[in-house]
Amino acid sequence: MELQPMYIQILALVIFAIGLTVAIARRNLFFVLMGVELALNAVNLSFVGFAKTLPAEASVVGQIVPLFSIAVAAAEACVGFAMVIMIFRNKESVDADSYSDMKG
Amino acid sequence: MLALIYFIILGVIAVGAALCVLLSRHPLYGALSLILSMVSLAGIYGLVGSPFLGVVQVMVYAGAIMMLVTFVIMVLNGARDKRTPMFDGVSLFVIPAVIVLAGLVGFALVRAPLAFDSATLPGSVKLTSETLFDMAATGPGYFLLFEIIGVLLLSAMVAAIFLAKKHLGSVVAENREETH
Repeated sequence: MELQPMYIQILALVIFAIGLTVAIARRNLFFVLMGVELALNAVNLSFVGFAKTLPAEASVVGQIVPLFSIAVAAAEACVGFAMVIMIFRNKESVDADSYSDMKG
Repeated sequence: MLALIYFIILGVIAVGAALCVLLSRHPLYGALSLILSMVSLAGIYGLVGSPFLGVVQVMVYAGAIMMLVTFVIMVLNGARDKRTPMFDGVSLFVIPAVIVLAGLVGFALVRAPLAFDSATLPGSVKLTSETLFDMAATGPGYFLLFEIIGVLLLSAMVAAIFLAKKHLGSVVAENREETH
């Protein structure tokens, strides 16, 4: 019994599902952002897993694209937490439902 | 066989830490569990033959991004708000929906024929850098994307500073406000 590429995809799917649940179901705003990070991690794992099933030239793409994905995740976390700091200063609350001021 | 054992150990740690993120009450414990999950994912990257990506995962994700997260949690003292519940009524509908979605995707995934290609290249530093900075006109052109990512990170940094700043204005004006 050897390591199959399917096992990597199943693991990525499980982690993505948990990250999506954290991002949608939790009320605390920190957990919402951390759930997004978890889902992005699972997508990177899926990229690497699929890259190993491709022939030589095409498999390099699977090593490059997660690097850009990680850089975009860094930019997203940077701006996201700056917004959390800004709104927390006004509201004194980390409940995601108290941030619903932008109504038409 | 040995690779499968390592994969199962690392995968169980990653999924368990992800569940800790879902169920922990304090944001700081959630962030620490997230770091554990990311480090074990970096181990899986090294296991399947992308050691450079694993190192980047440890340095950028588990190092830089999670440092930012824990720093913001500790500065804002996010645990001060005790009134926020962990879950609400909507969560009762979210969790079955996510389980059904994962079941559908998993069903499609299990039926797909996937096999490791023996000719695949390991993602070493040399291979990654040569592909990333291939400046030939016929090359893949990843270096342009690399430059754009640099501009994106710079603009994200400027945006974060402007958003998190208390008062927009010069330093002199702020000092005058504080003395009054």
